[in-house]
Amino acid sequence: MNLLSPLALRHHTARCRVLFGPHETNLGDGRAFSSRHVAYYRARAEGGAGIVVTEEASVHPTDWPYERCPDAEEAGPGWAAIAAACRPTGALVVGALGHSGGQGSSAYSQRELWSPSDEPEVNSREVPKVMEGADIDAVVAGFGRAAATAAAAGLDGVEVNAGQHSLIRQFLSGLTNRRGDAYGADRARLAREVLTAVRAALGPDPLLGLRLSCDELAPWAGLTPELAADVARELAPLVDYLVVVRGSIFTVAETRPTGHHGAGFNLELAGVIRQAVDGAVPVVAQGSIVDADQADEALAAGRCDAVEMTRAQIADSALVAKLRRRESPRPCVLCNQWCRVRDNRNPIVSCIADPRAGHETTDPAEAAEKVPTPHPAAGRPLTPSPPGDPQRPPLLVVGGGPAGLEAARVAARLGLPVTLWEAAADVGGMARLAARAPGHHRFARLVEWLAEDATAHGAELVTGRAATDADLAAWPGPVILAPGGRPAPPGFEVEAGAVVLTPEAVLAADDAGRAELVPESVVIWDPLGGPIGVGVAETLAWTGRRITYCTPDPIVGTLLSLTGDLPGANVRLQQAGIAIERRVVLRRAAAGTVTVEHRFSAERTELEAGAVIDCGHRIPADGLGAGQYEVHGGRVVLVGDAVAPRTVGDAIREGRQAALALAPAGLALAAMAAGGGSS
Amino acid sequence: MSAGGRYRYLFSPLQVGSRTLANRIVFSAHLTNYATQGGLPSAQHAAYYEARAAGGAGLIITEEHSVHPTDWPYEKMIHAFRPDVVEGYRRITAAVHRHGVPILAQINHNGGQASSMYTRRPLWAPSPVPDPLFREVPKAVDQHEIDEIVRSYATVAARCVEGGFDGVELQCSHSSIVRGFLSPATNHRTDGYGGSLANRARVLHEIVAAVRHALGPAPVLGVRLCGDELIEGGTTIDEAVALARAIEERGGVDYINTSIGVATASLHMIEASMHVPPGYATFIPSAIRAAVRLPVVGVGRFKDPLQAERALAEGHADLIGVVRGQIADPDFAVKARAGRAEDIRLCLSCNQECVGRMGLNRWLGCIENPDTGREAAPVGPPRSRAALTLATGAQNTAADATAAAPNGRNANGHGAPAVPHLVVAGGGPAGLQAAVSGAQRGWRVTLLERQSQLGGQVRLAATVPNRAELGDLVRNLAGEARRLGVDIHLDTDASAERVEMLAPDAVVVATGAVPQRPWWAPPPDGGGERICDVVDVLTGAASPTGSVVVIDDIGFHHATSVAELLADRGCQVEIVTKSMVVGQDLGITLDMEGWWFRASAKGIVQTIDRVAMGYDAGTLTLLHHPTGADDSRSPDWVVLAVPPRPADELYLALAERAAAVGSGNPEWLLRRIGDCLAPRRAHAAVVEGQRAVDEIARALTASPPRTLALGTVSAPATSEIAAGAAR
Repeated sequence: MNLLSPLALRHHTARCRVLFGPHETNLGDGRAFSSRHVAYYRARAEGGAGIVVTEEASVHPTDWPYERCPDAEEAGPGWAAIAAACRPTGALVVGALGHSGGQGSSAYSQRELWSPSDEPEVNSREVPKVMEGADIDAVVAGFGRAAATAAAAGLDGVEVNAGQHSLIRQFLSGLTNRRGDAYGADRARLAREVLTAVRAALGPDPLLGLRLSCDELAPWAGLTPELAADVARELAPLVDYLVVVRGSIFTVAETRPTGHHGAGFNLELAGVIRQAVDGAVPVVAQGSIVDADQADEALAAGRCDAVEMTRAQIADSALVAKLRRRESPRPCVLCNQWCRVRDNRNPIVSCIADPRAGHETTDPAEAAEKVPTPHPAAGRPLTPSPPGDPQRPPLLVVGGGPAGLEAARVAARLGLPVTLWEAAADVGGMARLAARAPGHHRFARLVEWLAEDATAHGAELVTGRAATDADLAAWPGPVILAPGGRPAPPGFEVEAGAVVLTPEAVLAADDAGRAELVPESVVIWDPLGGPIGVGVAETLAWTGRRITYCTPDPIVGTLLSLTGDLPGANVRLQQAGIAIERRVVLRRAAAGTVTVEHRFSAERTELEAGAVIDCGHRIPADGLGAGQYEVHGGRVVLVGDAVAPRTVGDAIREGRQAALALAPAGLALAAMAAGGGSS
Repeated sequence: MSAGGRYRYLFSPLQVGSRTLANRIVFSAHLTNYATQGGLPSAQHAAYYEARAAGGAGLIITEEHSVHPTDWPYEKMIHAFRPDVVEGYRRITAAVHRHGVPILAQINHNGGQASSMYTRRPLWAPSPVPDPLFREVPKAVDQHEIDEIVRSYATVAARCVEGGFDGVELQCSHSSIVRGFLSPATNHRTDGYGGSLANRARVLHEIVAAVRHALGPAPVLGVRLCGDELIEGGTTIDEAVALARAIEERGGVDYINTSIGVATASLHMIEASMHVPPGYATFIPSAIRAAVRLPVVGVGRFKDPLQAERALAEGHADLIGVVRGQIADPDFAVKARAGRAEDIRLCLSCNQECVGRMGLNRWLGCIENPDTGREAAPVGPPRSRAALTLATGAQNTAADATAAAPNGRNANGHGAPAVPHLVVAGGGPAGLQAAVSGAQRGWRVTLLERQSQLGGQVRLAATVPNRAELGDLVRNLAGEARRLGVDIHLDTDASAERVEMLAPDAVVVATGAVPQRPWWAPPPDGGGERICDVVDVLTGAASPTGSVVVIDDIGFHHATSVAELLADRGCQVEIVTKSMVVGQDLGITLDMEGWWFRASAKGIVQTIDRVAMGYDAGTLTLLHHPTGADDSRSPDWVVLAVPPRPADELYLALAERAAAVGSGNPEWLLRRIGDCLAPRRAHAAVVEGQRAVDEIARALTASPPRTLALGTVSAPATSEIAAGAAR
C-alpha cells in the first residue's frame, strides 16, 4: 500500500490516499461558492486528488467568522457545480461543515458569538454568549440541514469540523467548556448529537468525516492525545474517516504552521490516534505533509490510512498525477505567505510557487506538458521540442533568481530556445540566501525545482556570467532581465569606523565566515517588520552573541501575522535571549555603538554593538535598465526585484508573465484553454 | 430670525465655481467600503449619500475613486478607471440631486501608500520608498507612466461629469501619488519632478490642467492639500501656503480643501479621536485662507454647529467639513438650522465603528447610529427617519394598524395589542436604545434603572481623562428617550415581580454586566482587599495609591484609561498584559499613538507577555509565557481590567417564570440584549437594542396566535438555567 493505492470508505472508494483539505480561499461570491471555487477545486481533482474537501460552510446564522466564509444556506448550487466539475475526474467531493463558536467574528453578523462558556477568544478577546439549550438544539439542527443540502447537491459526503476554529472542539475541551449541565458533564455530547443528526440527514450512503483536534497543546485543561484518543474511540463508530489535527484557541497558528515546524510534525499524533481507534475508522494524517516520500513512510509505518496534503496541492494542483508519472511536483515551501488567507483584507488563496493557484479563471496556464493535439491556429506542432526550436530567435534571461528561473522554465516549456546567465556561482538569488535562515530551508527546494524543470525542458543555465548593456544590444532575440535588487542606503547616520552589514552578507557566509564577519555584540535594525530581520536574528541566535533587535513597532515582525508566525517568532527570539528594543528608530551607527531614539519619548539610548545589520528595504540593482519595465524598444523586459524589490511570489509571477508573453499566439491560446488541470 | 436661525454664517450660501452651495456644511470625502461588487458603486452608496443630502448638507464630496488600475490599495474601492462605473455614478448623483445638493467625486491614485495584493502588479510612486504602513517598495514611475497617470485623471474626471457629478476633487494629501510627489519625504527624484517645490508640484499642475481641460469650464474642480504631514522631512504649513498660492495663480481650480497628517504614517491625526481637541487642524485653512482668494475648507473634529459657526465667524475657513458628525446624524444640518442643535446625535469621535471598521475592510457604521451603513436596507416603519416627525407629535405605526379591542388586545384576545407596552430593564446604551426604538414605533415604554443616573458603564467610562465625549452617547440616547416620552424610573430595581406587575407585552432585559475576579485573584475578604476592578476605581469605591499594577485582559480603553487616571493622581503605574501589546485595540480606533505619547510622558510602564498566576500577601506572581520565566510584583494595589460577567439574574428569573406559565408561552415576549447577553462594547448594545424591538414588532404583527419564534427568546429548559447559575 502506498499513497497512490485506493482507499475504501463506506460505500465509496477514494482512488488514492491523498486528501485536499478544507481551507479558507476568499474565492466566494459573497457567502456563496463561486465559479472561481469550481475552477480551483476542479484543477486539484483533475490533478489526481483522492478526496477534495470544499471550504468549510457555516451551518448557522450565528457563525460568520470571515467575510467570505461560505454559508451552508447558500451553498447548494455551488456544491452541485463543484461536484459536477470534479466527480467526472474520479475524485470524491466532500463538503466541510462547521460552526466557529467563540472563535468566530461578530463584525459581519453584528450579533453575539456562541460558545459553551464565557471564555473570551484569545485574539479578539470577545466574550461569547454562554449557549442556552435552545441554542444548542439550533446548531445541531443547522448541521443536519446543511448535511441534507450537501447530499441533495450531489456531494459524496460531508466533513464535520471539531478541529481548529470549531464550536464542537470548544465543547470537547476543558479550556472552553466549563458548563454545569449535561453538555459539561459529558463534553462529547454535542459532537455525538451533531454526528447523529448529520448521519440522519445524509441517509445511509454519503461519507461522514470528522476533523478532530487531538492535541490542544494546552495540557492544563485542553484536549491531550490521551483524552483525544478516548473521544476518537467514542466517535469512531459514527464516522467514515477521521482527520487528526491539533491546536486550540491559544494555538491557532499551530494547526497549519510555517516551515518553522518540521514537515509532517503531526504524524506521531496520528499514529497514536490510529492505534487507539484500532481499525474502527480510517485515520487521515494532517500537518505540513508536503513530501510524498514522507507520506508513504507514514502509511507504511501504520501511522495513518491516508494523508491530507493541502498546501502541496495548492503549490502543484497536479501533485498526484505527477507522482503517478514519477515526475517531481512543484514543492510547497511551507511559507504560508499567500495561502493562509484568514485576513481582513480577503486575499485570494494563492501560492508563491504557483501564482496561478486561486486565479485559475483569469491567469493563463503555463504550457501544458502534454498538449493533446496541435492547436489549429499554431501552424506548427506544439509538442515542446527541447532543447529549443532553432528556427526561433533565442531568449536570453539575465539573472537566475526566482524571477529569472521561472521565466526560463516557462519559456523552455513553450519550446523556446533559452539561455540564462547568472552572475553568481549558483542560481537562486535572494531565495537561495533566504533558505539559509532557520525555518526557510524549503525555499532551496523551490530553487532546485525551478532550475531542474528549466533544464529538463532544454534551458541552458550558465552561472558566473554577468551581462552588460553591450550583451543586451547584441543579443539576437528577446531578453528578460531579472538582475534583482540591492540594499537601499542606510536610513541613519553612519560614522567612520561603524560596521553596517547587510542581511545578504550575514546569510551568505558560512559559520567560519560569519565568525569573522559578525562581532560579539550586534544590533539588528528591522524597519520593515518582515521575515528577513527575524531570519537574520535566528541565524545568529544561540551563537553566544549579544543581539539587540530594534524595531519601530510594538511587536517584532509585524508582517509575519499573515503567515501565522508572528507569535512563534516572538517566542523564539525571546527564548534565544535576544534583547528587543521596541518603538525605536535607529539614528546613528558609530564604532562600537548604535544610537536609537524612542519614537514616543524622543529619548536617545546608546547601545553597545560591534556592528549593525540593516534589514531595511531594497531598491533595484543599478544598471541594465534598473527600475524600468522595458528597454531596447521593448525587446528587453524587466521583471522581479529589478522593477521593484518585493517577494519571491511577485518575482515568480512576473517571470512567468514575461515568458508567456513570448508564446506564439496559438500556443498561448492552447495554454489558456488547458485551464486548471495540467500546469 | 433669518433662515439660518441663530447662525449668521453657517447657513449662508456660497458660490464655489459655477455652483452655489446652500450652506457651509461639507460632507467631505471618507472611505465607506460600500463598493462590495468588483469596484462598482453600490445602491448603498446612493442611499448613504442621499441620507446626508436629505439631512441638509451644503456639499457632498464622495470617497476617493481610483483613476488607474495600478491603484487598488483596499478591497472595496471604487474603480473609476472602469468605464462601467457611470451607471452607479448616476444612481448616486440622482439621489443626491433630488435634494438640491451638489456632489463632487474625489478622484485619486494612492501611489506607494498601497498594496499590490489586489492588483498583482508593482506599485507606482515617485521614488522606491516603502510606505511605513504597507512596507512595500514601489516602482519609481518614469515619464511615460507619469503621462499615463495624468491622462487617467482627465479621463476619469470627464467620466464623473458624465455620471452626473458637479465636479471633482483631486486628493493631493492623506494618501496619494500627488502627495508622494509633493512631499520631500517620499520624493527623492533628481529629474524635473523632484527637488524644488516647483518641481515637486509639477505633477499636480499637470493634472489640474488636464482635468480642467477634460471638465470644461463649468464643473467644479477642487484640490485637497495637506498643511502638515506630521512626519520627518514632510510637508509643513509654509510650503502648503506657497503651493496654494501657486495653484491659485495658475487658475482652473475653484476651491481648496485642507487636511493634516499622512493616511499611513500619521493617520491618527487625520481622523483624530476624542483625545485630540476639536478644531485641532484649523490653523491650516486659516493660514491658507489668508493667502488665497479661493474658498477654503477646514476640517478636523468639527462636531457641532456652534463650533463650525465660530470657525467661520473667525475667518479660519469658508466651508467646514463635518464628516463623522454627519455619519452619526445625517440630519445634522437640518436640526441645526431648525434651532434644535441639542437634538443632534453628536459624534463621540470614538472611532470604533467608522474609522475602526475601515482599516479592517468592513463597511462603515456608527457606534450610536445603527442605521448608518444600512441606509439601503429596507427597514420597517418608522425607525430613525421618523424621529423628526415623532418629535412633532405626528405618529402612526404598523402596530396601530392591527387595531384594537378596548383592552388593548385584538378581538380574539391573544393577538397583538393596539399600543404595546414595552418594559426595559436597564438604562445603559442597550436599554436606552431599545426604549428609543420602541417609542419610535409609538409603543408605551417603561424603563427601569437601578442607579440614580442613566448610562451604565458608559457613564463611568466617560469620567476618565479625555474620554468625556463618550458620555455624549448617553446624553444623546437619554435625550431622545425623554423627547419620545419614555417613562423612565431611576433608582428602581427591576425584579421579576415588578416587571410582571407592569403588565408588559414585551420585556427587554438590558441589565448589563458586573465585575468578576479571575481565578487567581482572592476575594476582598480573603486577602484580596488591595485588589479592585476598574469599575471600583471609577465609582470611587476604591482609591488606589502608591504603586499600582493594572492587569489588562481586555485590550481596550479600560486599562489605559484607569492607568492615566491613577498616574495623574500620583500613582506609579505599570500595566501588565498577557498579550503582545497593552491596549491592543487602541490601534483600531487610532488611539494607540496618543496613548504611547501620554504613557511615556506620565511614566506608565507597559509590560507584555506576562500572565497573572497568583496573588498572596501583597505579591502578584507573573509568568513570562514565551520563556516560562517566573516574575513577580509587590504593588500597593492591583487593578483589574478583565471581562465582567453578565448580570443575567433578572433574565433567568423571567425566563423561569415564562417557562412556568402553562403551555410554555408567557404572556409577554422576552428578550435580552447587550452585556447581560455577553459583555461586549457599546456598539453591540445599541445594535441589539434596536434589533430586539424590530424582532418584537415582527412577532407582535405576526400574531395571533402569539408564538415565540424569536430564536433564543423561547423559554429555556431548566438545564440552561442551571448552566447560567453555575457560571
